[in-house]
Order: sequence, then C-alpha cells, then structure tokens
Amino acid sequence: MKILAKTEAINNFAKRFGAELDLDERFVAKRGNRYFLLNQELRELAETCGNWFYAGTYLGKVKGGEFHPSFPLLFMIAEKAKNKVTVDDKSAWLFVCGRDLFKEGILKIEGSKGKGDYTLVFNRHGECLGCGRIVKDLEKLKGGLAVKNLLDIGDFLRRERRTET
Amino acid sequence: MVLFIAKFLLHVYSFVFLMFGKDFFVGRYRRLGWEFREATPKQAIRVNFMNVRGFDVVGRLKGLGVELEEIPFLHGGYWVVRSEFSVGATVEYLLGYYSVQEAAAQIPATLFTDLKGKTVLDACAAPGGKTVQMADLMDNTGIIVALDVSRRRLEALANHLERCRVKNTIVYQLDARRVSKLGVRFDRILLDVPCSGNFATDKDWFKRRTLRDVESNARLQRRILAEAAKVLKEDGEIVYATCSLEPEENELNIDWAVRNLGLEAVEIDCYGEEAPTEVFGMKLDDSVRNCRRIWPGETQGFFVAKLIKRR
Repeated sequence: MKILAKTEAINNFAKRFGAELDLDERFVAKRGNRYFLLNQELRELAETCGNWFYAGTYLGKVKGGEFHPSFPLLFMIAEKAKNKVTVDDKSAWLFVCGRDLFKEGILKIEGSKGKGDYTLVFNRHGECLGCGRIVKDLEKLKGGLAVKNLLDIGDFLRRERRTET
Repeated sequence: MVLFIAKFLLHVYSFVFLMFGKDFFVGRYRRLGWEFREATPKQAIRVNFMNVRGFDVVGRLKGLGVELEEIPFLHGGYWVVRSEFSVGATVEYLLGYYSVQEAAAQIPATLFTDLKGKTVLDACAAPGGKTVQMADLMDNTGIIVALDVSRRRLEALANHLERCRVKNTIVYQLDARRVSKLGVRFDRILLDVPCSGNFATDKDWFKRRTLRDVESNARLQRRILAEAAKVLKEDGEIVYATCSLEPEENELNIDWAVRNLGLEAVEIDCYGEEAPTEVFGMKLDDSVRNCRRIWPGETQGFFVAKLIKRR
C-alpha cells in the first residue's frame, strides 16, 4: 500500500476555509486518485491485503488537478473552519437540492466575507450541509446571489440514483 | 455440450412437473405450516446511534411530521407509519443519523454475542445496510472486512459507508467463495447470502422463479458457508441469513452445514418462529429448530441462523 508522503492536497483544501488539519500522514492512504484515513488495524490489513476498494474514512479525490473533498472530510474541516455561513430552513433545503444561496437566506456569517473565498454552509442546528464559494462581497451585498454551491450532502441521493442496485 | 443438454433437460423437467408458479410454491408453504396471504412489508428505519449522540433524531423526524412507531423486537428500529415525503431524502438521512432498512433485515446483525473490537466479515455486503448496522453496534471499533463481487454494488456500499460515517471497514471486490485468499481469520461472520428473495418484496416473484433457481442458489450458498467455516476462528460465530422462504436455501442448508462443516446451530432469541426439523418428508438435525423463520406480514419473509464450531 502506498502511504502518502504528504497530505498537501487535503491540507491546502482545508486552509481555504481557514482550517488547519493535523492528519497523521502515517495513516493516510492513497488508492488510485482517492485518499483514505485509516486506523492502526485497518492500516495493517491494508498493507497485507493490498487490493482493497475502500477503507476507513474516505477523504476525497483528486480529479483534473483539483481536490474534491468527501463529506467526512468536510465535517472534520467544519470543526476547525473559520469561514462559515448559517442559513434558514428554506435556504438549507434548497442548498441540499443543489441550489446556490441568496443573501436573504443567510442568518449568520463567520470568517471571510470576501468575493472568491470559500465557506462552509450550516443549517440552524449547526450541521454542515456542504460548501460554496462567495460570489459577491457579503459585507456590501444587500440581496441576491451570495454563495455558489460547490458541494452539498444531497450529492448522496444523486449518487444513490446512479448506483441503485 | 453435455452440460447444456443436462441443463435443458432439467429445465424441461421442471416445467413438465410444474415446479414453478404460485400454486406450486404456495403448496410448499402450506406443507411447512403457513397459509399464504398477500403481504406488504412496512417501511422501517434504523437509528445510527454512533452519529446521534446528544440529540433525539426520532423527535426531530416527528417534528417534521413523520409518524413513527417503535418496532417491538428491535432496538433503534421504527416503522414509518406515515410521512408526507420520502424518509430516504431528509437532511437527517443525508447526515447519516438513520438508515432506511426493512425490519427483518435489521435482525441478523443483532444476533452476534458481541461485536465491539472484533474482526468481522460481511461476506456479501452491498449495498451495505447491515455493514453500517454492524459498524454502529461496534461503535466503529475493531474491523469489518466487507466483500462484494459487483463493482456497481461496491460503489453503492462505499456511498453508504461515507454517508453513515463508518470508519472501521475495509472493502474488497472479492467473491465470498474466495475469502480465504485474504489470509484473515474472523471472530464474527455475517452471511447475508444471495438468495431467491420472496414474493413480499417482488410482485413478479411467482412468475419469475422456479425450483431450479432455488436449488442453484442453495448450491452457491453452501459453497459460501463452506468457505466461511474455513476462516472462522475456533470461538467464532456465523450468522446466516436469507430473504428466501424456500427450505432448500434455509433449513436444508443449515442441516447440510451441521452435518458437513463441523458447525452447530445455536439458540437465538429473536422475532420469528422456530424452524421446522422435518421438511417435505426429510428429517433434519434437531439443532435446526434453533433457527428462525419469518413469514411475510409486517416484515418481508426472512430466515436467520446462528452457527458456531462444534466443540
């Protein structure tokens, strides 16, 4: 099994949200273009029986030179991130359905408000629903499109439809 | 060529002797002591306790207007009595707080003596409902080795593991009949084997199935059982489950395992009725009565057995 020499792609992704991750590189494994976080027991097994498909906590994949996070990784980042927006119920549901966020639905902004920055999206229960990119300076914006949806947990349903057995 | 002719003759034989169709199978169920009636299993969910520490997900679903009723024979299992929307598309579902899992299918994982910290095999794992349930019962400790043969089904399994934040599972694209290749011995083995299914979850079941299919599945299941016995630790446990009502895939296979694999069927305390030890004139090992047969009703049809190495 190839244990990553560096977890740069993952750490750099987390930094976009103002989060510093301290992943132990000895337990981060790469399988094709996908990254996984293993525990000691899984690592031993993965080393012995190397031809695995999935293991431990899926962290994300690199595709087209870009890192695409998994949801478990987003939840890890959420614990340490500075950039967060909290949205109302209606906006939360629309976001989970793949829609972008409007300023009117945002209840709270933490961390960066600047155009082009990345932010995590939370519902009023404090649960991370995904992430997006700020499209206009949130400080000055009075209304309209505010955060572009990059990834939301509704993706699980879209994947389920693709892999229905 | 010889094999082809043999298969063709068997096919003709099964039709000549009408070993298919609703009347044929319903007659068999009657001989096993059950009068056929149509059944529509209720939808059920199962709470993933590992993901809901500190809050009441059932209360939250009720707040959304979902009417739930506790399933009396399951811990953390609820019937969905009424819901204006799909319970498989809520934020709570997407966050892995619960899984949509048919009630009878929630039983097998609960039959193991203890799972925490153990090395567990889920031999036919996809789409992963029982894998996630075991990870929950293990509180993400120990290891689950999950296998399936189909790449597409593995994608579904991986999706399920990610959604439910399972951390202790390693997945291989591997036929359960070849699991000894991994060189691992297991404390607990779940054999939720491929089976013929039942009419309660497949409205065309009686049109599609013949006794020949059933016997073919039973042979595959015996090969999986034999391989599982090889990789089971001396003090290990196997839970065998099917959603088939046909004794060839259930009682007869357990009887075969008891007679040929050095296993014994031990008592289990769960929903369902005692399995028959006399099937179509055949006398089976007494320990087969320890298995449970679940006829379709509120749940789908199901069969479960727990096996250990004979001491």
